[in-house]
Amino acid sequence: MSAITLIARDELRLMCRNRVALLSIGLLLLLIFVSAVTAWSHHESISALRARFQTQANEAFEHQPDRHPHRVVHYGHFVFRPPGALAAFDHGVDSFTGSAMFLEGHRQNSANFGDVRQSSLLIRFGQLTPSFVLQTLAPLLLIFLGYGVLTRERETGTLRLLLAQGVSAGALLAGKGLALASIGLMTLLPALITFAFIAGEPGSAWAPISMMATGYALYVLLWVLIVLLVSARARRRRDALLTLLTLWTVTVILLPRIAPDIAASARPLTTRLESDIAIQKDLRQMGDSHNPDDPFFAAFKQRVLERYGVERIEDLPVNYKGLLAVEGEQLTSSLFDRYSRESFEAQAAQSHIMDRFGLASPAIALRRLSMAAAGTDLSGHQRFLDQAEAYRYAIVQRLNQMQADAVSYADDTATGDAADRRRRVSAENWQSIPDFEFQPAEPHALASAAIPGLMTLAVWLAAALALLAPASSHLRRGIQ
Amino acid sequence: MNLLLHELRLTLRSRLSAFALVLLAVLAIASVTAGMAEVARQRATIARIQPLQQQDVGAIAQWVTKSKDPGNAAYYTFHATWDSPSNLAFAALGMRDVAPFLLRVRTLGLQAQLYEGETFNPELALPGRFDFAFVLVYLAPLFVIALFHDLMSGEREAGRLRMLEALPGGSRTLWRRRVALKFMLLYAALAIPFVCAALLSHAQATVVLGILLIIAAYLALWVAITLAVVRLQWSSVTNAATLAACWLVLTLVLPTLAHVVINGAIPVNQGVELTLAQRENVHGAWELPRGETMATFYARYPQWRDSPPLPGDFHWKWYFAFHQNGDDSVSEQVAAYRQGLQARDAWTARVGWLLPGVGVQWLMAWLAETDLRAQLTYQDRIHDFHRRLREFYYTYLFDDRPFGEADFAAAPKWQ
Repeated sequence: MSAITLIARDELRLMCRNRVALLSIGLLLLLIFVSAVTAWSHHESISALRARFQTQANEAFEHQPDRHPHRVVHYGHFVFRPPGALAAFDHGVDSFTGSAMFLEGHRQNSANFGDVRQSSLLIRFGQLTPSFVLQTLAPLLLIFLGYGVLTRERETGTLRLLLAQGVSAGALLAGKGLALASIGLMTLLPALITFAFIAGEPGSAWAPISMMATGYALYVLLWVLIVLLVSARARRRRDALLTLLTLWTVTVILLPRIAPDIAASARPLTTRLESDIAIQKDLRQMGDSHNPDDPFFAAFKQRVLERYGVERIEDLPVNYKGLLAVEGEQLTSSLFDRYSRESFEAQAAQSHIMDRFGLASPAIALRRLSMAAAGTDLSGHQRFLDQAEAYRYAIVQRLNQMQADAVSYADDTATGDAADRRRRVSAENWQSIPDFEFQPAEPHALASAAIPGLMTLAVWLAAALALLAPASSHLRRGIQ
Repeated sequence: MNLLLHELRLTLRSRLSAFALVLLAVLAIASVTAGMAEVARQRATIARIQPLQQQDVGAIAQWVTKSKDPGNAAYYTFHATWDSPSNLAFAALGMRDVAPFLLRVRTLGLQAQLYEGETFNPELALPGRFDFAFVLVYLAPLFVIALFHDLMSGEREAGRLRMLEALPGGSRTLWRRRVALKFMLLYAALAIPFVCAALLSHAQATVVLGILLIIAAYLALWVAITLAVVRLQWSSVTNAATLAACWLVLTLVLPTLAHVVINGAIPVNQGVELTLAQRENVHGAWELPRGETMATFYARYPQWRDSPPLPGDFHWKWYFAFHQNGDDSVSEQVAAYRQGLQARDAWTARVGWLLPGVGVQWLMAWLAETDLRAQLTYQDRIHDFHRRLREFYYTYLFDDRPFGEADFAAAPKWQ
């Protein structure tokens, strides 16, 4: 048996004799288990709930009676964002964004009923998921178990003995590191089992899962090295502990809170109210549909008449009001797209600023990696918003076209009950409109979105590894 | 007094203590500054929208005035509402970063408008805000631990404990003096920045006093926990590790567990359900005889009963009546939804008795009016405003009065 494994075994044996150490390992494993179970059941229940709501909304839409297509444009549709398979491991922003969205003509609504507004302030303390336990608590376990691994040897004078007996400082570092790494592996094990479970679920893929597993492994390994480095340098155990706790507090608790404030003030967002007003203003400038002499709509009317070679809109083979609705929706939607793109860009810029803090805090880098691979980050939510908007536009325009083709202009402008019956379109038409199917990101896209976070973690790891050599010579020098 | 000065010099000579105190003061200053900046930003936003809103209404007035149709005015005019931050909001931003503080409503069914969200980046909201409540709840206990964990063990490890205990009059007064001094220093590092910010923000004196008491009580609790561990006569390092573990369990682990338990025990799905139901009831009116809709409406709002009968074709009063019927049809679900939210909040307050961090956070957000209750109060005010708006437009719609340019200015104003 080599010196390294001997040292590691000895260190682990010492930990096994320490009841507090055993207890804290046991508690953390229990916590990971509890978090995996609760996160999984939460995931299952919200998946089922959202699927139920979606079915209910689809049925309501399809069971509409014969109606005027424009009534259906206003009746609208509801869509719900189904959570991805890996959301069971990392909820990400799922609870912070709405998951229900009302789609209607002329308007773009927000996604509503997010957990964050329905959960009292407890949700701001963090959510019990395996990702939270590993990101936040696993480093603390390593700190509590490991702050003394080398400082203890120095404080009690055994370091001098060990080195005098011919154990190299490098072997000592490697052995102690091995012992800590095996504790780290133990905390990772339940996570890996959870990953294996998730991989068996429909809709999950190995690429993002292995990305996440690599990320968490690198993170735990990084903390093993940080603990080892501080323990090798500190003169007293208390100094080692306080230094490590400070490092943990700053990188895991403090920086993740400061970074958003800086990002938010660097790129302020436009409020919904302001963009609503701006959109209305732009619309009025493009063309005022309420003004019969408006040049934009007069030109549109002229184009339509020319296309069909007729003099009056009453002579058109299609319903002019339907064509007008198609044109109007195209105008408003182009503005919705423009303003939401601007907002997305500003939010992406904010998140990018947050990402840069990953170089100051590995926890931020890991969070980015984890959410990106799970598809529960900002871009995952925006993907839903984009698809919902595309779906909204498609059904609204289909209904507007239906008004143009299936409802006559005469009926559409007439009054009275008979005309009201004639301008209704058969209910079969609602059933022929396809349901909303959220398309999750491709596995390789999720995996590649996790690369920046992984790179940041790799930089951290490289820096920690580079510090090992000076730490080892510090150990040697310390006893001379 | 002289002895206290000596103790002060001793405390500040310890690099750890001096560094910790300065750092805590810096963090407290940074947090109140960030909080005040956020409050100022929200106030500026509220001020900025006023001219925009006026222009928007003006543009609608321009074309509505031609037809003088009150239905067009009621349908197309959005009315701005806002929820100004309280003077203490800087200390605990609470839910103000995720719940809207601006909302435009019109006279259509309110239940389809009330739950609209604000644009925010969820990735920034996820870790929580850096405000004074955060510094107090999360960080202050760690500073208590840093300053107190070696109170006795430090002296023992330095070989001075026996000598100190042998002092005439015993070491009791010495420990008391030391604890009092360190407590005062920590309290000053937190309270002075807070009071300065509160003065600058013109916060109410009683509420400021309340927060000062909360700071004292929370610090005292952590000092007590620390002293309880210190009395066990372990080594400094064991004390520090034990106390950090206590902090971890009380402020990180148990609150997340409580969150899971409370949300599991009190599900609130009524929000989505009532929105779906309201939509069915509103749009279903197109299939019903219009007289039936009006009868339902008049039964609830008899003051409009004398309005002339509906004409043969479309009339806006019928349209607004069925929107209101739709809202009224889900009032029970609205109440249930609200009760669910309040129950979650009430249980959080109860958990606060056991978990001091949760209790302090809850109290601070309550005093700063940034909690769930403040959000519900804002919704109540919108509800009331919406009623006033409806009544205003109803007088034109149900009495068939023309709606001119001057009438736009007569519409109810928020607040």
